[in-house]
Amino acid sequence: MTSSFLSIRNLKKSYGEVVAVDDVSLEIPRGEFLTFLGPSGSGKSTTLYAVAGFDEITSGDILLEDRSILGVPPNRRNIGMVFQRYTLFPHLSVAENVAFPLRVRGQDRTTVKKRVDEMLSLVRLSNFADRMPAQLSGGQQQRVALARALAYDPPVLLMDEPLSALDKKLRDEIQIEIRRIHQETGVTILYVTHDQEEALRLSDRIAVFNHGRIEQIGTGEDLYTKPATRFVAEFIGDSNFLDVASVADQSNGRACATLPDGTVLDGLSTHHVTRHSGRFELMVRPQWLAVAKEGSDGIRITVKDVTYLGDSSSALLETGWGQAIWLKGPAATLRGLTAGQTIMVGWDFAKSELFEI
Amino acid sequence: MALSLDRNFRLALPALAFLLLFFIVPVLALLLRSVMEPEWGFQNYAELFATNTYARVMFNTFMVAGLVTLISLLLGYPVAWLLAIMPRGLANIVFSIILLSMWTNLLARTYAWMVLLQRTGIINKALLSLGIISSPLPLINNLIGVTIGMVYIMLPFIILPLHATMRAIDPVILQASALCGAGKWQAFTRVLLPLSMTGAIAGALMVFVMSLGYFVTPALLGGTSNMMLAEMIAQLVQSLLNWGLGGAAAFVLLSVTMLLYAFQVRFFSGYADIR
Repeated sequence: MTSSFLSIRNLKKSYGEVVAVDDVSLEIPRGEFLTFLGPSGSGKSTTLYAVAGFDEITSGDILLEDRSILGVPPNRRNIGMVFQRYTLFPHLSVAENVAFPLRVRGQDRTTVKKRVDEMLSLVRLSNFADRMPAQLSGGQQQRVALARALAYDPPVLLMDEPLSALDKKLRDEIQIEIRRIHQETGVTILYVTHDQEEALRLSDRIAVFNHGRIEQIGTGEDLYTKPATRFVAEFIGDSNFLDVASVADQSNGRACATLPDGTVLDGLSTHHVTRHSGRFELMVRPQWLAVAKEGSDGIRITVKDVTYLGDSSSALLETGWGQAIWLKGPAATLRGLTAGQTIMVGWDFAKSELFEI
Repeated sequence: MALSLDRNFRLALPALAFLLLFFIVPVLALLLRSVMEPEWGFQNYAELFATNTYARVMFNTFMVAGLVTLISLLLGYPVAWLLAIMPRGLANIVFSIILLSMWTNLLARTYAWMVLLQRTGIINKALLSLGIISSPLPLINNLIGVTIGMVYIMLPFIILPLHATMRAIDPVILQASALCGAGKWQAFTRVLLPLSMTGAIAGALMVFVMSLGYFVTPALLGGTSNMMLAEMIAQLVQSLLNWGLGGAAAFVLLSVTMLLYAFQVRFFSGYADIR
């Protein structure tokens, strides 16, 4: 196996009968920002905590620079971590919190002072050195936590949904801070979130977790444009999944599908189709859909509702067989639509993936 | 606000009047007798501190109270922490055991210890039959007996305030300290101990003060050579009818208690406000 900076190999963790993480393998190069994205209970946090060293894992291995860290207790792993909950020591000031990891390492006073100053200026909280944690806002507390986690220059920084307790505006601000700090320090970051927008914004690569397994790993663009599974297609970006009555003419990664109302669509993508029969669904992003001329390729739908969202509008549509789907587009292009209207919508069929169900 | 404070004050009046009449006044009366009998002056206090026997009782009282406080703290601390991190259902069971022991009659519990600790008691018999000792250990009518009996009674009073403080500590904070590089001992001394200090001080003070004035357990499990202040006061007042000296001893006890309380309020209650 090729060696990378941090390597998670066939990680498995079960709690009695329940398998929380099932055979997860990851190779993470130095300096990467990798996000674990998935719904709660998908195993993303368990994988992160396994790297932190709090839980015995059931099987597998975790290697940092080719050395297994499984036998190393958390306090000797030299890994930094920012938690979901606020974990600043409430009896210590901001500066003392950041100094804590340096003090327990027995560093001398001047080194500690210098490093604390550096860290506080990195997170732009130099003026808050003497405050107590209770006197800080949630966002400031997490920035101090970040400074504390980076103070001892850890090779890996773990972040477990650090922004989930903050409101949206603050979250956006701190995301920018985190990106900047990642670029300035070059630290390898493993970041856990259930927020796809946050994942897309921050990460070099994203690993999508579901039911204890990684569904797909790749850049945000990979995941969005080439989802490997229906789950990924649904989790990254919005998707409609049209019912498919039958599929025919599979060749060269293309196929022809008949929808329940008899409409035949040709040239559909079949990257993930492995069988010829059975039930299928067709993925269509709401943004791909556009109103088409009568007689052109597409499906006939009834407009149910149109919602104005500022820079865009979304329309709730109903297909001939009664399935509800979404269309999203610039407000101007949807202006003419009214509820009850029957129209044709089309899209670039080559982008549309067929998924087995 | 002023009106409601006024009204609340009026509601509290009966209890305050009760305390004034049946606590403050008798205490003041006792204080007066300590400086009036047999004549005006501080001769009772002088006698108390100058007489070897009385001074030894005073020293013994503080020594026993200190010892009981220290042992209760050492035994109670891990229990309180366990209760704080235990699943709630299990913690409730342990709590009810602690409370049940607290609610059982004090005299009954102390007599039970006499049964256990005496020369022919279960503990000595068991140790003898196991061949660990060849003659019965003196576990009663001495310092050991008093300490065992009092620690047992005081444990809940240290566990409860400690637990209240510890429950407010998020265990994730200890995970954070571990990842920061703190070993178990450092996590304890630098994080857990400072964060639970208010509870430890409150509990320790409660136990120390209660122990200073304790009567039943030292009287039943202790010996004549390690008499405590409360027993001495009882003897002075009941047998020797020396109200002056008894009052002086009681007042010394009360002053020490008040001093300790002031100390706690001054130095160890501020932190809760910052949080």
